[in-house]
Amino acid sequence: MNNIINFFISLTNNFKAKVGLYILFIFIITSIFAPLIIGSPSDYVGVPLQAPSTEFWFGTNGQGQDVFAQTLHGAQKTLFIAFLSGFLVVLVGAFLGGVAGYFGSRLDDVISLLINVFLLLPGLPLMVILAAWLPPGPLTIIVVLVFTGWAWHARVLRSQVMVFSNQDFVLASKVCGESSFRIIMIEILPRMLPLIASSFIGATIYGIGAQVGLEFLGLGDISQVTWGTNLYWATNDLALLTGSWWTYVPTGVSIALVSLSLTLINFGIDELANPRLISERHLSNKLDGEFDRNSVTPVRMKNNVNT
Amino acid sequence: MKLINTALLLFLFFHGCSNNEYQVEKGVMTISKEQTQSWVRNFNPLAPGANARWPSVAGIYEPLFITNSMTSKVVPWLGESYKWKKENRVLIIKTRDNVRWSDGKPYSAYDVEFTFNLKKKFPALDGTGNWKYLKSVTAIDSSHVEFVFSRVYVPGFEVLAGQPIVPKHIWSNVDDPVKYTDPNPIGTGPFTEIVKFTNQVWELGKNPDYWQKGKPKIDKLRFPAFLSNEQATLALIKGEVDWSGNFIPAIDRIFVSKDPDHNKYWFPKSGGSIFLYLNTTQPPFDNIDFRKAISMAIDRELITKVAMYDYTSPAHQTAISGSFLNYRLSSEKINESWVGFFPNQSIQKIKSLGYKKNSSGYWADSTGKEIQVSIGIVSGWADWIRAGQIISKNLEDIGIRARVKTQDFGAWFNDLQTGEFSGAIAWAESGANPFPMYEGLMASKNIKPIGEHAGTNWHRFGLSEVDSLVSIFEVTSDDSMKNKLIYRMQELFIKSAPAIPLFADPTWGVYSTKRFKNFPSADNPYAQISPNKTPENLFILTEVEPK
Amino acid sequence: MNKSVIYIFRRFLFYCLAGFMAITLNFLIPRLMPGDPASIMFAQFKGKLKPEALDALKETFGFADGPLLMQYFDYLKHLFRGDFGVSISYFPQPVVEVISSGLYWTLFLAGTSLIISFILGSIVGIFLAWNRDQKLDSFLIPTLSFLGAFPYFFIAMLLLYYFGFILDWFPLRHAYSQYVTPGYNLDFIISVLSHSILPAFTLIFVSLGGWMLSMRNNMISILGTEYINYAKAIGYDKKILMFRFAARNALLPSITGFGMALGFILSGALLTEIIFSYPGQGYLLLQAVRAQDFPLLQGIFLTITFSVLLSNLIVDIILLLLDPRIRK
Repeated sequence: MNNIINFFISLTNNFKAKVGLYILFIFIITSIFAPLIIGSPSDYVGVPLQAPSTEFWFGTNGQGQDVFAQTLHGAQKTLFIAFLSGFLVVLVGAFLGGVAGYFGSRLDDVISLLINVFLLLPGLPLMVILAAWLPPGPLTIIVVLVFTGWAWHARVLRSQVMVFSNQDFVLASKVCGESSFRIIMIEILPRMLPLIASSFIGATIYGIGAQVGLEFLGLGDISQVTWGTNLYWATNDLALLTGSWWTYVPTGVSIALVSLSLTLINFGIDELANPRLISERHLSNKLDGEFDRNSVTPVRMKNNVNT
Repeated sequence: MKLINTALLLFLFFHGCSNNEYQVEKGVMTISKEQTQSWVRNFNPLAPGANARWPSVAGIYEPLFITNSMTSKVVPWLGESYKWKKENRVLIIKTRDNVRWSDGKPYSAYDVEFTFNLKKKFPALDGTGNWKYLKSVTAIDSSHVEFVFSRVYVPGFEVLAGQPIVPKHIWSNVDDPVKYTDPNPIGTGPFTEIVKFTNQVWELGKNPDYWQKGKPKIDKLRFPAFLSNEQATLALIKGEVDWSGNFIPAIDRIFVSKDPDHNKYWFPKSGGSIFLYLNTTQPPFDNIDFRKAISMAIDRELITKVAMYDYTSPAHQTAISGSFLNYRLSSEKINESWVGFFPNQSIQKIKSLGYKKNSSGYWADSTGKEIQVSIGIVSGWADWIRAGQIISKNLEDIGIRARVKTQDFGAWFNDLQTGEFSGAIAWAESGANPFPMYEGLMASKNIKPIGEHAGTNWHRFGLSEVDSLVSIFEVTSDDSMKNKLIYRMQELFIKSAPAIPLFADPTWGVYSTKRFKNFPSADNPYAQISPNKTPENLFILTEVEPK
Repeated sequence: MNKSVIYIFRRFLFYCLAGFMAITLNFLIPRLMPGDPASIMFAQFKGKLKPEALDALKETFGFADGPLLMQYFDYLKHLFRGDFGVSISYFPQPVVEVISSGLYWTLFLAGTSLIISFILGSIVGIFLAWNRDQKLDSFLIPTLSFLGAFPYFFIAMLLLYYFGFILDWFPLRHAYSQYVTPGYNLDFIISVLSHSILPAFTLIFVSLGGWMLSMRNNMISILGTEYINYAKAIGYDKKILMFRFAARNALLPSITGFGMALGFILSGALLTEIIFSYPGQGYLLLQAVRAQDFPLLQGIFLTITFSVLLSNLIVDIILLLLDPRIRK
């Protein structure tokens, strides 16, 4: 448990992760509180396709709705679905991958086959079909995202679990008579925390991108206000042809910023977990000067002489 | 550095060699009507699903008569005249003389006889359901065809009149006309020569021996493939398209402003309305007053302004619009007004029906159950979705829980037909006069039980009086009698509110007078303007000329 | 050598099995959707077809009804004969014809973009890993990540709008100009190339970062290994070290990724094709879904599944040749 807490503390000290966390935090807070402050985004408040002004910070869209309100409201649904689907993807992936990696033999064969088949199914077309079939709504999007996204992470997590399962500490636990459940939950998974966190973030990023893509195609629930549907309406109202970039750009930039923040956090996790990067960091913390990083251990360079 | 140089050079090379500038010769009209990714060479006018390239049905092949919805006149085309006999049991059509097929062979009544009997032999071709009321079709001689009806059905004339005629000498050799793609069509129409056909653009040249001498004045029609509305609009804005039937939002700002002298549009109303259907088998929608109350809560002005960009107008109390205005009941005869925005009256009506507002502010019945409406709309139809969103907001404002439910059309239409919906926005039946619309809204003989697929009357409302009116209408050819029946239908419609009209149903016509002139317009309404309305587009194809 | 053959054979068997399961799933999923093709076709005309037309359409597409199991065996039977049936939305064009038009364009656009992106990204990744400039790292990587974080269609539409519509530098749609004739003539070839620049650029732009990062990460872990250090100590030229030793080994995991991506190009370019009106298979797929065109859907799925399996098999063979460790 200590390890887990330590991990998160060091994460917040990492520069890249810090930036990422700040950005993400801003968006999350906005998405939770803004809808309470700003009025309903679907009210027809102004002349359609007005450029940004002091009255409407982001201007109005093709139906005379406030783009600023729409962007803020859209954050809530989009982020919620993305995080939830990311969480579920990792849950399913960790469970199936863990079971396969730990128990091996027959069970592994079956689950591996399942993983490989799912990996072979083309993601985007499958998403389009599922979304077209199921009734529009957040539940559908989540089902589609989890259905198409779990296999990749399951495979990654399975490999890692397999590696750990063959190591001494697991064998020792088995000898001591610990139940498989305990071994997986208490011994193996906590050690895989960076990988799991990284998978969660990766799945969330995928969740955002896929969700927005589907809604852009009109396959989501169009009567909801989300980032994806904002872009859908912007396109339908021929935003670019009318030169109304403000109906289009704020949402796009928001999506990019959130994805970026998650990616930065992922970089941070990587720097924490990758042993090589760890040692580099420790050294650069303790010593100053230039390092030649292309050796087994970073070597301090003197007077620009490169070995 | 070298890399940048080569890149620059390559770029200039491509740009210089770019052959994207508009390079079309005079007399060639570029049209945007169908939206597809890649053209399929199919000109079969009888094909099910209307998969043939436009204008196969009316452009390459032609019908017997065309009803001009602007003038309400029946214009003889491949048929010269017609006569009812034997108390409307037999229809004799005289075919036009001196018409040739584009391969030179003469057109005659035998082609008409062949076409209709082909539809009998292959029911998949009978998309208009002719053989539901025909008993036989025979050519009495080379210029007269006799249609014997199995039951008297006078409105059947309009349908028969619109049938595209195919040449017997070609089609009698076709094994499977259902799957036949007719790659090199032989027709009587103004344009019959396939000049070029690639998957991104195809060209239709004029018929050198067309029966209307001196016409068409246009030399060639060309059709680039536009994948989406946005792409087609882009081309229109750049001046690359002369005539189109697309829906363009904010058209004044996007299109007209780019070239105000030449870029024009005209959206004449087709005559009917778009409706909000409520499932009349479900309480409280089974109550006439409740339906009227819902109707009075809807702000149609806002819908036409925001959802339809002011291209149309709010529906009339009779749901009749545009070209059918002369069928409308006179205003003294209209004694109710539930098509309008009267939210207070709506609230009064609901209260008088015994509903009470609960603690959340929503109307609930005596058991405490809240009233809920779910408005089903196809997920691709943005303008209707916007309308639906306004409606649900209107309803929420007066205390009815409402939401828009978007579905892909497969699921949506399935629910509509089986009656598994509470609300939906959809079109109404149409025809040469308003009668079919009312018949579709109120005839009880068409009602199918919930769960069974119904081709019409999805909201399942019927009046037996309407059934008798329909029987009379089907057998009469007397115009004043027809008008009387239409008036009566309107009275019944106003009284019983089977469905809620929202706004007049417009037709879409966008054009540019840069290279062509003599398009019909509001100033010169000799015909309607939309390429989507077949077979009336033949008027435009034969009248428009290059500048 | 025998071991290699057995290994390839085992992989091949596995792909056959996975392929079969995928085919079955591909068959089931479209059919579980509500509605039937006739009704959908009818609905598309928004009321411009008479209600009687529905009956006529149902009559035509009667083959779409029938018990599921029968349909399945019918489907398999036709599959092995190479008969993919007739498309519903492009009735009566055979599915093979409908697909073939789109297939080549998707392969062309997505294929070349993928290859360029992979090669470019990997080379940059190698350089980045070798010259571990702290400043370059902390600037380039977040910037590229930021650019890659924008939704793909967003970037595509902006570029199309700005470079195509406003500046008029590039064509706005299609794979080639409507004023040239397809064939082996210079005009056509130039037209094809100029029409592919913008869509290919957007595809490459968005995926570049990914290849670059993965290559860089692979390189970093390789560069830390003993044998690289040894080679350096012996005095190998830096360039040779970088390319012959480090890069070759770092390439291996990337090739697996490349193989997977190659298999999926037939399905991945959907948004590109929509925005640039490029006549490829991606948009065809979307249309087929919307029209519930089962035969077309199955045909497209088949091409995707087949290409994924094939490219995976090819990648396995290549890896076998490149990496002696597998042979053991």
